[in-house]
Amino acid sequence: MNDQWTERLSEYLDGDLAESDRAALEAHLDTCAACGETLAGLRRIVVRARSLEDRVPSRELWSGVAARIGAGPRRRRLTFSVPQLLAAGIALAVVSGGSAWLLHPDAARMAALRPDPASQVVIPVAATGSTAGAARSYASAVDDLERVLAEGRSRLDSTTVRVLEQNLTLIDRAIAQAQRAVAADSANLYLNTHLAETMRRKIDLLRQAAALVSAVS
Amino acid sequence: MLLLLALLQQIDSTVPVQRGQRLEVSSFAGEIAVKTWNRNAVRVEAEPGGRTSVEIDRSATSLTVKTEGRRGPPSMVDLVITAPSWMALDLSGVNTDMSVTGMRGPISVETVQGEVEVEGGQGLVSLQSVQGSVSLTGAKGSLEVHSVNEDVRVSASSGEVTAETVNGDITLTRVDGSSVTASSVNGDLDYDGAIRNGGRYAFSTHNGSITVTVPPGSNAAVSVSTFNGEFASEFPVTLTETRKGKRFSFTIGTGSAQMTLESFQGSIELVRPRSYRGARDRDHDRDPDHDEH
Repeated sequence: MNDQWTERLSEYLDGDLAESDRAALEAHLDTCAACGETLAGLRRIVVRARSLEDRVPSRELWSGVAARIGAGPRRRRLTFSVPQLLAAGIALAVVSGGSAWLLHPDAARMAALRPDPASQVVIPVAATGSTAGAARSYASAVDDLERVLAEGRSRLDSTTVRVLEQNLTLIDRAIAQAQRAVAADSANLYLNTHLAETMRRKIDLLRQAAALVSAVS
Repeated sequence: MLLLLALLQQIDSTVPVQRGQRLEVSSFAGEIAVKTWNRNAVRVEAEPGGRTSVEIDRSATSLTVKTEGRRGPPSMVDLVITAPSWMALDLSGVNTDMSVTGMRGPISVETVQGEVEVEGGQGLVSLQSVQGSVSLTGAKGSLEVHSVNEDVRVSASSGEVTAETVNGDITLTRVDGSSVTASSVNGDLDYDGAIRNGGRYAFSTHNGSITVTVPPGSNAAVSVSTFNGEFASEFPVTLTETRKGKRFSFTIGTGSAQMTLESFQGSIELVRPRSYRGARDRDHDRDPDHDEH
């Protein structure tokens, strides 16, 4: 794999390359199957993100979350590696219709202002250096949703709580395995996107659990 | 307009409905079974239970049926609903099994501890259970089936299919869709359906195997990724490897469809349809020199 060009594929996708670089990269793509596949993978991520359905949480759920987490939610210290930041950035973009909105105090009003998902591009989130913030937001969203589940677990059926927690454990195990794999092979796009997708699954399940808590409150 | 508020002894009530009205049914525990007839009316039958009432509320746009507990949550109630097939359907419950037969409109089903079994549905069909398996057959449209802790099955259905579970298998049989996505964390994926020209097929699992039945004459550009799994194909394919043994791609026919197969630590296998394999084996029995195509 040609690292020089691999690193610039997202710029190419965004149309940010200078004309001469673009031509050189396209010539390289004609002969490099690895870069061609990586580019195809990046394109799939963008397509997947663009096809995401918006899911706007109810204001009622936010009021419950706000009451529980107070004014200053605890922030977890992050020690993500660069590839994990990429993954977290993708994950955050993937779940932006959920976690970030779920935790915003004025989600309903902002929903009307939210840009068309078709105009959102995932890769630049990682490429512009904002992934550290994205990773913090992801971890913060997980923290907050886990807190909602922890505080509402007594209101849920014990079997339901057990099933939710078992499945969260399964996902955590998968995330840990994917993180180790990414650490060993950081340039592997599949592993990075798999990690991001698995992180997205955790947010989805936590959000589902929070919705169950809200429904019985 | 509230039509009925009755302590549950034996409910058997029929309410006229008009085209365009939606049927919404919610029950905390028990079963909701929906079937169809050719009358523009909804019949609600309920088995005797505890101190639980069944409310039927009709508005210009919907007919709502729900169970209510007089003190605390409602007790277990089995609701049998008979409705015209054109009605859009919205079922919700907690400890509730759901079954639907013969509806021809959009269907939404959500339960927490319960099995979901739907036959029919057109347009947006969205089925979800946390602790129960979800099964859909004979549906057309945008089909979304989700479980958390059990299996998901879709059969004899067409349209855009999204199937997802965390801890369960996904089986897609006789599915004819231009866009099919299936994803599990801890389960196997089995796809036996059409591969349409121009279609998009994405199957991924973390800890399970993927088996895709490829009909003869299919055209697909296939991308395979794994971290610690293996790949096998019943028929010859020419691999272009980007990472030895981990990521590769190949083309079947013209490569018109796009297929992505990803298993972190499970096997990925392409097979021929059983009927094709049977015919081929018979041919081989007759002609031992016959080559695979």
